Amino acid sequence: MIELSHVSKRFGEETAVDDISLRVPKGKFCALVGTSGCGKSTTLRMINRLIEHSEGDIILDGQAIEVYDPVKLRRRIGYVIQHTGLFPHWNVARNIGLVPRLLKWSAADVQGRVEELMDLLGLPVGEFAHKYPHQLSGGQAQRVGVARALAADPDILLMDEPFGALDPITREKLQDELAKLQARLHKTVVFVTHDMDEALKLADHLVVMREGRIVQQGSPLALLQQPADSFVESLLGGLERGLKQAALTRVKDHMTSMGPTLPAQSRIPADFSLRQALSMMLRDHSDRLTVVDQHDVPIGELSLRRIIKEAQLDKGSARE
Amino acid sequence: MSLLDALSTPRLRWDGRHPNTVLVSLSLIMLAAFWSLDVVSMAPNRIVQGTSYGALEALGWPGALLATLLLSFIGILAWQPSPRHYRALLAAVMTLMALMPVGLIASSYLLIDPELPQARLGLGAAYWVVLFVLLLCLIEIRLRLKLTRLWPTLLLCGVALVWWLCATLWLDSLALVQEFKARDRQFLRAIGQHVTLVGAAVSISVVVGLVLAMLMRRYARLQKSAFAVLNFLQTIPSLALFGLLLAPLAWLAANVPLLGQLGVSGIGTTPALIALIAYSLLPMVRNTYIALEEVSPDTLEAAKGMGMRAGQRFWQVRLPLALPVLLEGVRITTVQAIGLTAVAALIGAGGLGTFIFQGLGQAAMDMVLLGALPILMLALVVDAGLGALAEALRPGGTR
Repeated sequence: MIELSHVSKRFGEETAVDDISLRVPKGKFCALVGTSGCGKSTTLRMINRLIEHSEGDIILDGQAIEVYDPVKLRRRIGYVIQHTGLFPHWNVARNIGLVPRLLKWSAADVQGRVEELMDLLGLPVGEFAHKYPHQLSGGQAQRVGVARALAADPDILLMDEPFGALDPITREKLQDELAKLQARLHKTVVFVTHDMDEALKLADHLVVMREGRIVQQGSPLALLQQPADSFVESLLGGLERGLKQAALTRVKDHMTSMGPTLPAQSRIPADFSLRQALSMMLRDHSDRLTVVDQHDVPIGELSLRRIIKEAQLDKGSARE
Repeated sequence: MSLLDALSTPRLRWDGRHPNTVLVSLSLIMLAAFWSLDVVSMAPNRIVQGTSYGALEALGWPGALLATLLLSFIGILAWQPSPRHYRALLAAVMTLMALMPVGLIASSYLLIDPELPQARLGLGAAYWVVLFVLLLCLIEIRLRLKLTRLWPTLLLCGVALVWWLCATLWLDSLALVQEFKARDRQFLRAIGQHVTLVGAAVSISVVVGLVLAMLMRRYARLQKSAFAVLNFLQTIPSLALFGLLLAPLAWLAANVPLLGQLGVSGIGTTPALIALIAYSLLPMVRNTYIALEEVSPDTLEAAKGMGMRAGQRFWQVRLPLALPVLLEGVRITTVQAIGLTAVAALIGAGGLGTFIFQGLGQAAMDMVLLGALPILMLALVVDAGLGALAEALRPGGTR
């Protein structure tokens, strides 16, 4: 678990981070979002002591981070940065094995772990182990970056805009893979990004920062339903907000059992998002969809009227 | 940039339709030089001014014809360049270089009267021009064929071996060989002194350079003043620096007995070494500093974030990544020191410069060459060797 309470960082006269408090429970994914220069990277780097905080407490697994030796602390925390920071003079295998070697694992253990991780991240060992970073594409290089961060199996993973330099298609692919990886590994992740869609997609807990302060934090849905101010709302995409919220909701949470009327023509799988359902309704000029399970057997139906009614109820309950 | 790369053009395209104008004009220059300038000169003894001979007299009809054919061959092949033609061109250039001493053997039979044991053969202007232009051709061909620096260097070493064999076995009458035979012991000792002086100066400046560069990184204030001093040192003419050191060192040697016993004196090795180090420090420190500074901050940030200690970051990341640029500094420094050491002969430090200044004093150009040629060769060998090493050490084979 990571806990920051009333943490500030001052560089001379300037306050980069101003009295922030947040808690990331074990196994949760926390995204720090904000425009550039809002202090999100500084906050991240205070956790592995690349920057020492000026005030407040940062607590890791019940102990203040000042207690740890910074070097040993960093070896326990995975760290991924935007431009990968891979060592250009080391091949992929050696780059991934860095932290285990620093921890003096045996050569056989290091090799086994490296192969396991390359497998996990979809990098065939035979093809990639002996390549050098300059021979990799941006996406491949960042996979190596993530593998390197996971090498010593740390509980905590810090990611500083890891996909910021990638093209949109590669970025989305790596986001999906990271989500899958997180579902398997349950690391405690702090993820810095300026891309709200990325944060909404990946995070359990969203922290919006502005000028060194936390403007709002909470679950992605809570933020979408009730942004604290116009800044958060504009980050969340203004008018697009409704669709973003729909993207986070599954069809099966809004379907009703089959009504007395005939089943609708269009069919949608139950684990698709509400956003996809709305898109399908628009495409097929229909206000009703038949919900099917993975074997394409109808299990219920989804109606536009009901979605809207439930959204009103959600908003009402969020107000209370 | 290596000396061999100095004339490289950044972008080269394969273009079979257009002649390679560089090689065609080089071939024409060689033909013109071969037929218009003197090929060799012959003197009955060391003192008398030699007589010059052109291509026909020096090599006879068959020799002159063969040389002309080979030289035109280069131009003809370059008219329609293709990878195969470039390989043939490489072979032609190498053959020409290897045949050059054979030409000298021929002229020694044709021109030298066996009755005159003192007679000596000198290399004429045409020989030097053709040799120089052939080296230019080699650079152009190397770039077109995208060869690494290693291959031409190895081929040139082969050519040098042929030259050396011909010189020792059949070219007794060549003036250069005679100058060498007259003082072969002296020559070997001079080479030894030269290499020792350069080696000592460079290794000391590598260590001092590394320490200074690291201090500069720690204390930013030191950087400006240190570079100011080193820049100033670089502007003093070498001869003046030797002169400036004479008085204080002589005084030290006279007044501090320990230094005197260690062999410190106003002239000789000590001032030469001090001056060489003074000149070597600027390129060494500058390159070391830049090499260490230009390592990507992302890489170093990652190294720190992964939990590498300061020492591990320096030895495993910063230094290996800086090494190619650092070696460039060593290369520049060494080549510069090889040249400067020649001047050190003036203050009695020995080395190959001795022959240059003696030769100048006696107006014996062949003796000057005996000193100058090995200096040139030494510089080229060091340049190619260290250049190839730096290339090989590029991280992960990046360019």
